[in-house]
Amino acid sequence: MGGKVSCTLGEVKNRADFVLYWGGNPAECHPRHFTKYALMPKGRFVPRGRKDRTMVLVDIRETKSVKAADIFLQIRPGKDFEALSILRALVKGQHVDEKQVAETGLTLEQLTDLVDRMKRAKFGVMFFGMGLSMTRGKHMNSASILTLAAELNAYTKFVAMPMRGHGNVTGADVVMRWTTGYPFGVNFSRGYPRYNPGEFSTVDLLVRGDVDAALILGADPGATMPQPAIDHLARIPTVVLDPKVTHTSRLARVHITTAVTGISAPGTGYRMDEIPLPLRPALRSPYPTDEDVVRRIHQAVAEKPDWMAAGGQTTTTQI
Amino acid sequence: MSAIRLTLKEQPGVPLETEVLSPDALADLAHDEIRSLPVQLGKRRRRLDDFFEIEGERSDEIEVHGDLSLLKWIGRGMSRGRLTIHGNVGMHLGAYMTGGSIEVHGDAGDWVGAEMGDGLISVHGNAGGQIGAAYRGSPTGMRGGTIVIDGSTGLEVGMRMKKGTIVIGDTAKDFAGLQMKGGNIVLLAGAELRTGAWMIRGTIISLKPIAMLPTFRLARSYNPEFLRLYARFLSGLGITLPCAADEGRYDLYSGDVSVPGKGEIFVWQPAEAAASR
Repeated sequence: MGGKVSCTLGEVKNRADFVLYWGGNPAECHPRHFTKYALMPKGRFVPRGRKDRTMVLVDIRETKSVKAADIFLQIRPGKDFEALSILRALVKGQHVDEKQVAETGLTLEQLTDLVDRMKRAKFGVMFFGMGLSMTRGKHMNSASILTLAAELNAYTKFVAMPMRGHGNVTGADVVMRWTTGYPFGVNFSRGYPRYNPGEFSTVDLLVRGDVDAALILGADPGATMPQPAIDHLARIPTVVLDPKVTHTSRLARVHITTAVTGISAPGTGYRMDEIPLPLRPALRSPYPTDEDVVRRIHQAVAEKPDWMAAGGQTTTTQI
Repeated sequence: MSAIRLTLKEQPGVPLETEVLSPDALADLAHDEIRSLPVQLGKRRRRLDDFFEIEGERSDEIEVHGDLSLLKWIGRGMSRGRLTIHGNVGMHLGAYMTGGSIEVHGDAGDWVGAEMGDGLISVHGNAGGQIGAAYRGSPTGMRGGTIVIDGSTGLEVGMRMKKGTIVIGDTAKDFAGLQMKGGNIVLLAGAELRTGAWMIRGTIISLKPIAMLPTFRLARSYNPEFLRLYARFLSGLGITLPCAADEGRYDLYSGDVSVPGKGEIFVWQPAEAAASR
């Protein structure tokens, strides 16, 4: 297994001479990404900016990002895992049949050329979007691009980075990671963190109906999650902390209006490369901050009798 | 010594973790001690008899009745005895078990026999994903024993398994044998996509044609000798594996070259189909 080989966007700006986007449309979804970090800026080791970089785009259709790309590889939908497997084999010099490549919608020549360019690069970076991580194969698609990046480090410096969206999701992952050791899908019901995505991840818990209350903070699952999950949120007591009315707040039992972090409340936002950035509020808000509300809920809960001291644990037969 | 019989009387509102339902925990206990065993309901500790009618004591044979689809960790780490479940059962059935046998007359959830060392699990209905798999972040899944699922299964069957046998009666979903390091998976009715992805070693036998990853190569077509021995072992579990030369032959695909691995996928080609190719 590869793990995640990553770097900051500052390094991408100053060093990356090979940039690949897989299953994403940065021109429309991350409009400042090209100009601020990945393509246009002149960097310390890429003094001519765009001219010193090669940009490859892999996607299932032509998007607005194609114009910015040197090479566009149009892949057949749902064949990302297969294409990445072939790339991993080619990187290691394994033989792959032309016929076997055909199902991905690409040719062996295209993929061999891509591998050559990757190996020739001084500093390569692969950004991947939801077109890769949210299609059939899901986490294994992400795992295969991360592993490819890790394996390319046998030849040159290579990193892979997900293109994050939706506000501070990276922050949630990072903070969970340094407080519990796991990024998401953590269960505390036995008093210590347990990690099992698929069992404890939010969508799965809600779809199966395994939870009997929900506190939603800085997210709008009512707009993004599958219908059975939304139905369960409407069934159980759901508490939403959000500055505005959202799909989720409409179906929630309680909606507490909070100040907007970054505009009227201070805080820390994590950029997609996991760099914490302090947020200074420009305005004042009559509403409490998210932190304030959670702290007050926590205080009220702490005044209740301690279920843990009253024998909350049952670990007699644990291995 | 008659069996301990438990009947679910109250359906829990949230998942109930009942790792005490294993012969190792119950075998030496008197009736009252069994009744007071702790189970975990969400964050709260409850007694076993809050949820079950219990008959019998001091036995390593356990019978459980009722719809247990919200009950997790049944038979966790068991090393002996027999556990029979009449009804559906939830996640992590027989995880880490090292001996004994579990039989389920119903469906099972995800992670059946995850990281098991030895023993036998048979499920007569369908099961979820990650059968005999390694837990997230763990390098090795099943290390021995046998899992037989009569119905269909979910994703990642036998993920990172090292030894042992998994037999799936109906279709398995994507990524069967993901990152397999050894052992055998028998797919009696084939599988969906990406079977054997990232395989290092191990053997997958499919009796139905399956979609192969482009990183697997057809190596040869023959009737391997070891399958005859293996078929004899499987016949003990009530499973017939065709291996006579006049019935057909097996296409051997090797891979996954992206690792690069030495895994084998055998796909059965019945005689008529083999002749028409």
